[in-house]
Amino acid sequence: MTDERTIRIEPVTRLEGHGELTIKLGKGGKVKDVQFNISSTRFFEKFLEGRLAEEVPRIAERICGICPVPHLLASVKAVEAAWDVNPPKPAEKVRRLFLNAKQLSSHGLHFFALAAPDFLAGPFADPSQRNVVNIIKSLPDVGKLALQIMEYGQDLVCAIGGKSIHPVTATPGGMLNPFSEEHRDNFLERMEDLKEWTTDTVKLAKKVVDDYWDVIENFAVVPTYYLGMHYRGNYEIYDGRLRVMNPEGEIVENFPAKRYRKYYGEHVPNHSYATHIYYKPAGYPEGVWRANSLARINVADKMPTPLAQEALEEFREKLGRPTHATFAYHWARVIEMIQAVEEMEKLLQDPDIVSTDVKLSDVEPKKGNGVGVVEAPRGTLLHHYWTDERGIVTKTNLVVATNNNIGGIEKSLMKAAKQVFENKEHENLNLPDPMIK
Amino acid sequence: MAKRVAFTQLTSCWGCDQSLVDLHLGLLDVIPELEIVYWPAVVDYKLKDLENLPDQSIEFGFVEGSCRTKEDEHLLKVMREKSQTLIAWGSCSCYGGVQGLGNQWSIDELMERKFKTADTVTNGRIPEENMPGFTDHIKANTEIVPFELRIPGCPPTPENTLEGLTALLQGEEYELPNKTVCDECPKEREHKTITEFHRTHEGKIDPDRCLLDQGYLCLGFATISLCGAQCPKVNTPCKGCFGPPPGVIDHGAKIISALGSVVDMDAEELREYFPDTIGSFYFTDYASSYLSKITSRKKKEETT
Ligand code: SF4
Ligand code: SF4
Ligand code: SF4
Repeated sequence: MTDERTIRIEPVTRLEGHGELTIKLGKGGKVKDVQFNISSTRFFEKFLEGRLAEEVPRIAERICGICPVPHLLASVKAVEAAWDVNPPKPAEKVRRLFLNAKQLSSHGLHFFALAAPDFLAGPFADPSQRNVVNIIKSLPDVGKLALQIMEYGQDLVCAIGGKSIHPVTATPGGMLNPFSEEHRDNFLERMEDLKEWTTDTVKLAKKVVDDYWDVIENFAVVPTYYLGMHYRGNYEIYDGRLRVMNPEGEIVENFPAKRYRKYYGEHVPNHSYATHIYYKPAGYPEGVWRANSLARINVADKMPTPLAQEALEEFREKLGRPTHATFAYHWARVIEMIQAVEEMEKLLQDPDIVSTDVKLSDVEPKKGNGVGVVEAPRGTLLHHYWTDERGIVTKTNLVVATNNNIGGIEKSLMKAAKQVFENKEHENLNLPDPMIK
Repeated sequence: MAKRVAFTQLTSCWGCDQSLVDLHLGLLDVIPELEIVYWPAVVDYKLKDLENLPDQSIEFGFVEGSCRTKEDEHLLKVMREKSQTLIAWGSCSCYGGVQGLGNQWSIDELMERKFKTADTVTNGRIPEENMPGFTDHIKANTEIVPFELRIPGCPPTPENTLEGLTALLQGEEYELPNKTVCDECPKEREHKTITEFHRTHEGKIDPDRCLLDQGYLCLGFATISLCGAQCPKVNTPCKGCFGPPPGVIDHGAKIISALGSVVDMDAEELREYFPDTIGSFYFTDYASSYLSKITSRKKKEETT
């Protein structure tokens, strides 16, 4: 008799996108292989060819319905870079507000709907109980908190972009519609509530962090490289240079996005339709990097706003820099939520935010190529387009946020699988009582 | 009694799903009415759980996305078997969605670019181990299995989905409106004859006047009105993402013929303004157009 077996998890749930998990166990429960099988893709990189470049952002943002704003903006910025266009300053501020609003709603969704159920109901709770629907039913206050935070963010996205999903107003040269004073007043008025909800979220997150400290420190801790944007060392999501940090915590690269091809490698695994992006000079798989909240928090020297900076200091005191603890992603996400709220308030108070000077009227298409990069909730997002004299897209290269993490996710799954199947470590983990009983 | 409901995602962007979540506090009213038997984004049920349900045991089955992989086709068929009322949810499901634009190429050409020749790829190959394989081209789900209901939109608004869901829960008819986006658009329309077109990034848009009258390609006149004219309200031309009004099968063909009556230019001139007919006129519903079917057939003949 052999105890070799293959475990298939179909589908991986509470995930945006399509994935399955294959774990191959050899003799004595030894973990032989772990595959994160991303089982679908849509081929945007090909079918954007031949389109009018200014229409491409409205198509390309359909890559993701959870984070269309970063796609819209990375895409518009790529066209602007190809055509040598600089939108007016107020347009840039509106776009920053737009991106932060999305960051807020996406992080709210992620924290409460995708991650928190495991902590609030406990990782060993019946699977049918570990979901946001159950949270809404069993912890109505937490459920309400989650829904209100998401709503503020999505409403603001809609106010700027016309639609909360696949918004439309960003165009090469600026924004087609100014942000109105009426909207500004409304969101400023609701800001006090938002700040209160954010404080409550931080309290909740702190409790979770304290309760699950054992897990955070010990489970699925994997050293990798990290990729993230910064502006003069400050945390940044809309426009800045990119940094690569090595597993020892040294910044090994610092480059403008347009030079990405020197540093980005895209490994095509045989078992996934999502490629693994890695730090090219280090090779694959040694150079596997991770992006997203933890990476941004690792590569930034400091946060640009005061409360977020305070939160960062507390985080670093406990976990150091860099930290490779996969579960620290959740904490990093909360720091980013604080940052988003602070930056949104600052932008809403800026008189430029309601300026009507948000679009150039003399944008000329030209032959060229351009790279557009922003930080999406799931990591650094890059669109690269080539256009002809008429401004028609002839070729594209897309490196979407999530793909920066798949190699790293696989590494941490491997580590977690070994901890679970070989060392039976979870049996010794000191897990607290779930909040939902 | 709560109704047994399933939400499934074929290849998609998850926007229809997110749109449902965007009901926010409104969810608190709906959730008690639903017994969710499958919803991978939110609840930890596995495919096996769905496959093991008795046939016809789901009262309302919502299908988002379209069949890009063979696994999608399988899931769609399982959903058909298990559901009493199957709902094509969103433009991907109703018409094939943006990925339908890929029908301009063969699946081999699409895979070649993504997996082998993309600028950053360092070891080109087509992934095969534990992978489902792709469909040759995209079709609307409604051409693959019969559906009881369609709710188009990319995505449908939260209100669209809520309205559909409420009608279903109360056992009422849900019918698509026979209106166009123009009917809900606040802009002043003079029905001028158009003598030239501008690209969206060109010039300054007058926020009060009809965009089409100003020479911007706004497809509101040939697009079903369900979204509340979201885009023209923020000075942005409608691209037609909700598809045509009921009764019209080929959205782009309808747009082109209707444009013929408002522009003062010959076919050649029109073609010059719109070098990418497919991207401009069939952006989320190319897969359900005649043109796509002809192209797909030709591609197939070429390869056999
Ligand atoms: S219809 Fe649109 S929003 Fe819905 S899944 Fe398809 S692309 Fe996304
Ligand atoms: S702007 Fe567009 S939707 Fe509004 S009336 Fe004109 S064509 Fe119709
Ligand atoms: S106005 Fe047109 S493009 Fe905009 S959401 Fe409505 S149907 Fe889609």
